[in-house]
Amino acid sequence: MAAVAVHQFAECITCHAWSPDQSMVAFCPNNSEVHIYKLFGEKWEKMHVLSKHDQIVCGIDWSLKSNKLVTVSHDRNSYVWSQEGTEWVPTLVILRLNRAALCVQWSPKENKFAVGSGAKSICICYYEQENNWWVSKLIRKRHESSVTNVAWHPDNILLATTSTDGKCRVFSTYIKGVDSKESESSSSDLKFGEQIAQLDLSVTWAFGVRWSPSGSILAYAGHNSMIHFIDDVKSNPSAQSIPLRDLPLRDLLFLSDRVVVGVGFDCNPMIFTADDTGLWSFTKFLDQRKAAPSSSRGSQLSEAFGKLYGTSKQVPSNDTVEPSKPRGGAHENCITCIVPLWKRGNTTLCRFSTSGLDGKVVIWELDIPK
Amino acid sequence: MAAEEEYLEAEENLEAIITRIEHKSRKIETLLKQSKPVDALKTALEGSALKTRDERCKSANWIVVHRAVMAIKDVDGMISSLDPEYYDILMKYLYRGLATGDRPTCDQCLRIHEKLTEKAGLGCILRSLSDTVNTV
Repeated sequence: MAAVAVHQFAECITCHAWSPDQSMVAFCPNNSEVHIYKLFGEKWEKMHVLSKHDQIVCGIDWSLKSNKLVTVSHDRNSYVWSQEGTEWVPTLVILRLNRAALCVQWSPKENKFAVGSGAKSICICYYEQENNWWVSKLIRKRHESSVTNVAWHPDNILLATTSTDGKCRVFSTYIKGVDSKESESSSSDLKFGEQIAQLDLSVTWAFGVRWSPSGSILAYAGHNSMIHFIDDVKSNPSAQSIPLRDLPLRDLLFLSDRVVVGVGFDCNPMIFTADDTGLWSFTKFLDQRKAAPSSSRGSQLSEAFGKLYGTSKQVPSNDTVEPSKPRGGAHENCITCIVPLWKRGNTTLCRFSTSGLDGKVVIWELDIPK
Repeated sequence: MAAEEEYLEAEENLEAIITRIEHKSRKIETLLKQSKPVDALKTALEGSALKTRDERCKSANWIVVHRAVMAIKDVDGMISSLDPEYYDILMKYLYRGLATGDRPTCDQCLRIHEKLTEKAGLGCILRSLSDTVNTV
């Protein structure tokens, strides 16, 4: 019910993604390259190094059906990589951004991908068959600051975004010729770039927006150590905001419509569950620490506040603060990215991997009660 | 015309807030005389108008909260009987207290800060620092 595997790949990892058969992992070791490692028995071997970007690659997504990698970087570019034989061939996607790209995600049908950027805009890119290239359409309106995360609704049209202006917005990304018209949605909603909803629940930066598997619940984390759950965004939104005890979250993942995993600055995944009435609450931390929880929390606080309170429990003699000591958990530094690992044939997700600033990729597995 | 009306309405609201604070202050004095410092603090914290931008209201409320905070002798008891919904507001006032630089106030606020952090966690501190809309 915890960490199944821990791999130290680099000093620091910005983001990662798994291949469709989960034998290979692609990640960015905090530079302009993407490394792809493959597992041979017990050992990881570096298979490919994709180096087309000039600056840090901050978003990677691997499409499960079409086996394409999309990478976005602070250099305002995006590449779609397809595997031809043993080589990965890049295709430049001109995003038309004048600021860094920050996040990327393939749509559920994998015919589009969305990029959030520091240019207060989102790029929706789709493949144009006639010209054999990826076209980017921008949604420039509405955002007042950088877009930190994007999340696709299962219907392949709605896109939720979180931004450093503290708001979470839902847009329609309907593109004529790419998306087929659904008979039940009204035509006014379908206009590209139309904002469906704006959520003002957080006063601080917002991160980690995700839709539940059914698409009925939206969740995102605020940098003020809160997590927000919104039910039924389109017609009758009802929100729940849960204040967290500890440090803020950076990314979320829905394991089912009732279970959410949050990861962030606590270096420990947190589980949130909804009861039968739909009321969300914090359940537990995933990682079993070696020290008992109460004493470790006490010592963590006295480390930080020891000098302030006048006691000297574990404070070093010099004035500098010691770098983050390993606290006995899987991750030693902030977890920034969480990726699902679907088991073939399963409808509920019980495996996922996390990567963080400590350069580790950790695979977690738990039993979800039905 | 509309701007003027808005201005008058805002002033009215401010007057209402100040009156409420004065009312709270009298109630707190009574509670302190009855040796109920915890109830006094609860009264001081509830109904705090956090959204207003008016400095007079904020100062008036701070004076009231300060009076109740300084009267607390049993910090552990106070923290355990305080409702969790007041943790964030109390933390904000503690930081205001620490910012005054006044020795007795800072000593008391620090004492309470230690216990409150143990009870409420680092998230409470984060919320008090990052909230720029609801300020004290």
